[in-house]
Amino acid sequence: MNTTPTQNQSSKPPPIPGRFAFEPMPKGASPPLVIEALLKYPGRIIHELQNNWRATLLLWLLSLVLLGMMAYGVVVGSFSGGAQLWIAPVKIAMGTILSILICLPSLYIFTCLSGIDAQLRTVTGVLFAAVSLGALLLIGFAPVAWIFSQSTDSVAFMAALHIGLWAIGIMFGLRLLEAMGYLLGGSARTHLKLWSVIFIVVCLQMMTTLRPIVGTSDHLLPSEKKFFLAHWVETLRDESTRK
Amino acid sequence: MIGRLKVLLRGEADRVAESVSRAGFESVAQFSLIILIGAGLYGATLGLWRGPLQAFYTAIKFPLVIFLTCLGNGAINGMLAQILGSGLSFRQTAVAILMSFAIAAIILAGFAPLTLFVWFNAPPLESEGAIVGHSVMLLTHVFVIALAGVIANRRLLGLLRKMSGSDKVARAVLFSWLAGNLFLGAQIAWNLRPFIGSPRLAIEFLRSDPLRGNFYEAVWRALRHLVF
Repeated sequence: MNTTPTQNQSSKPPPIPGRFAFEPMPKGASPPLVIEALLKYPGRIIHELQNNWRATLLLWLLSLVLLGMMAYGVVVGSFSGGAQLWIAPVKIAMGTILSILICLPSLYIFTCLSGIDAQLRTVTGVLFAAVSLGALLLIGFAPVAWIFSQSTDSVAFMAALHIGLWAIGIMFGLRLLEAMGYLLGGSARTHLKLWSVIFIVVCLQMMTTLRPIVGTSDHLLPSEKKFFLAHWVETLRDESTRK
Repeated sequence: MIGRLKVLLRGEADRVAESVSRAGFESVAQFSLIILIGAGLYGATLGLWRGPLQAFYTAIKFPLVIFLTCLGNGAINGMLAQILGSGLSFRQTAVAILMSFAIAAIILAGFAPLTLFVWFNAPPLESEGAIVGHSVMLLTHVFVIALAGVIANRRLLGLLRKMSGSDKVARAVLFSWLAGNLFLGAQIAWNLRPFIGSPRLAIEFLRSDPLRGNFYEAVWRALRHLVF
């Protein structure tokens, strides 16, 4: 009698052609299937999270986030070597999870403001999927980053390169949120775009809070509080003084 | 083999697309061989001005830059092709990119006699005009390599259009591959320098500190010297 909005959305897929087709995933949620769906058919992931929610899918996405960020973190740490080889991956993975946790409540609110009828677990899953796609791309970028990390001793250059590569990854990842807006019947898109900017700012600030990640320090965490932009300007100034 | 070269150069999208779709070992081997020979031959003319030994080194290093760039960007190029909706698998992406480099290598091989002629006319290393000779060789090679790259990428765009069925997707994929390959390729070439060989430095396979410094910092430093 009372059909839930979720069931309605399942029976009436929105008319989005191609790779954002809102269709079920093949049975099972093995890592290769999840990776394939993330890269080729992101609509399937959103469909599963909305209509056929499984904790295993969420766990695989979370594992992908952690593994991807830690793998890329090793490359980031290879610039300084030594203890940074384990400190950088731990900080990057931890920073990413903390950023997700900080931003998740606002994402849920913004999702509602956009007119999307999704549960918190669906929104959590889509956010994990978005970040795991970014992490996957960072694994792809790892050889590029490694070559540069072995070829320069400039902290500013490496930091800019890592931020650039991360920005490309997360830009593709955050397109999943936009797709969620389309597929789950959102009416206003500006809210999710605004949230994406907030998430990016939080991630950048998180990496500043957990510094040093590229360079080295006697302390694991900084004693001085600093905003991302202030730290960045200071790094550039140090670099030009050094030269 | 000759037939394959003609198909590549004519840009017969149907036949090339069929071979890239299969993404078999045969295609990989043939494209690699074309790159090895074509880029190797051109590489020799690149280093000849500095001396026969430099020509030999550059003949090895020039194809090496291409292979290392393909290898380093293999994963990310495959991912971008899938994310952007081209429908190409990792293997098909690798074969398509190898194909475009193979086309560039054929064009470069075709230009080898021309660059030899330029070398023949360039002031030799021992002469007073050595710096002019170095500059002319450098500019000629930049022009020829850029031309080969542009033509090869136009062929690649045709193939991507055919395989993805969308001009917009094809352009997006090509742009992402180009950006990545140029970004990494420039750095690998920097690490594997010298190619032409500086008149003031000894001939060597690699500089004594090949991993020191990077291409973009060097460009930035050069710009700063120029402007400030």
